[in-house]
Amino acid sequence: MIRTIVSLLISLGLLIGISFYESNRVQKTFERFDEVLQVLYDKIEAKEVTYEDGTAVEAFWENQKNTLHIWLPHTAIQEIDYQLYEAVGYLYVRDYDSAMPKIEILIGMCENIPQSYRFSWENIL
Amino acid sequence: MGLIFIRTIIVFIATLVVMRLMGKRQIGEMQPYELVITLIIADLACIPMADNSIPLLYGLVAILTVYLLHQIICLLDLNFAKAKAVVSGIPSIVLNKNGIDDAELKKNNLDVSDLIESLRVEGYFSLDAVQYALYEAEGTFSALPKPDYDKMQTSLPVILIDEGKFDEKNIAYTQKDKAYYLDVLKKLGCKNIKKVLVMTVDGNGKVYFQQKGEKYKTLSLSWERTLW
Repeated sequence: MIRTIVSLLISLGLLIGISFYESNRVQKTFERFDEVLQVLYDKIEAKEVTYEDGTAVEAFWENQKNTLHIWLPHTAIQEIDYQLYEAVGYLYVRDYDSAMPKIEILIGMCENIPQSYRFSWENIL
Repeated sequence: MGLIFIRTIIVFIATLVVMRLMGKRQIGEMQPYELVITLIIADLACIPMADNSIPLLYGLVAILTVYLLHQIICLLDLNFAKAKAVVSGIPSIVLNKNGIDDAELKKNNLDVSDLIESLRVEGYFSLDAVQYALYEAEGTFSALPKPDYDKMQTSLPVILIDEGKFDEKNIAYTQKDKAYYLDVLKKLGCKNIKKVLVMTVDGNGKVYFQQKGEKYKTLSLSWERTLW
């Protein structure tokens, strides 16, 4: 009886702990990535961007995505990789008009991905 | 992970409710919640294992949730009789001293032929040889025979009428016709065949007869010889 209650409380604690940590971690990571992307977007808009700005964002993402693999389906991460590599490629050839929609997509993903991990009926059902 | 936790609870409860609604027929030697765990846990373990795009943690969280639910149900089972009845169900007495309890059979999605089959598996071939028969909560079958039950089953009974319908094949097997058995029904005080729950006859001519909602009757037909 006591063993059952203890194991129940431990597993419940673990599950609640993991849930809150995941929610917090995903939210914060994408908030930071969104800030970085916003800066890049403003620079592209002002045509003050360089290829190095793009690779800096890429390096930031590479650093974050290693831990995100634990929490997110790998396909979601691959989609971000794909959009980001394309955007940086356009920056390399200085095609800013093509790079901007890609960054917009990434900014949208930064809002949408954490939303799909929030506690809401739409996500549960 | 919180979403997986809640979704696993919902799937678990939904599967458990469906299993309970399906009745004892679908369970077979497991408590309903044990069967649900067996059904769910295999997939939970397999999906993240086989699909590289899903983090392994998704499977682990779902399995841990199932474990948590199992522990909660175990606690309820041990400490709250009413909760145990809701989660695991209660035994159903389908045959008593008055005969077959049709309503109890229907509650468990079973019919008379299922009951007769279960009795045969337990070694009881004649319906009147048994005092009580019940389906346990986990779907197994138990029967309490009458003290002299072995004297009551000297020949294999066959079903002649099953829930208001004649079994033509078995009637032919007894080398009689419908008219003969309609006469027998009259002798037993039955005017409408549709009211008959079950009627069996063995090779010695011993009839077991029960109308819906009434006590069973037995009758010995005066056959010249043992037919089988």
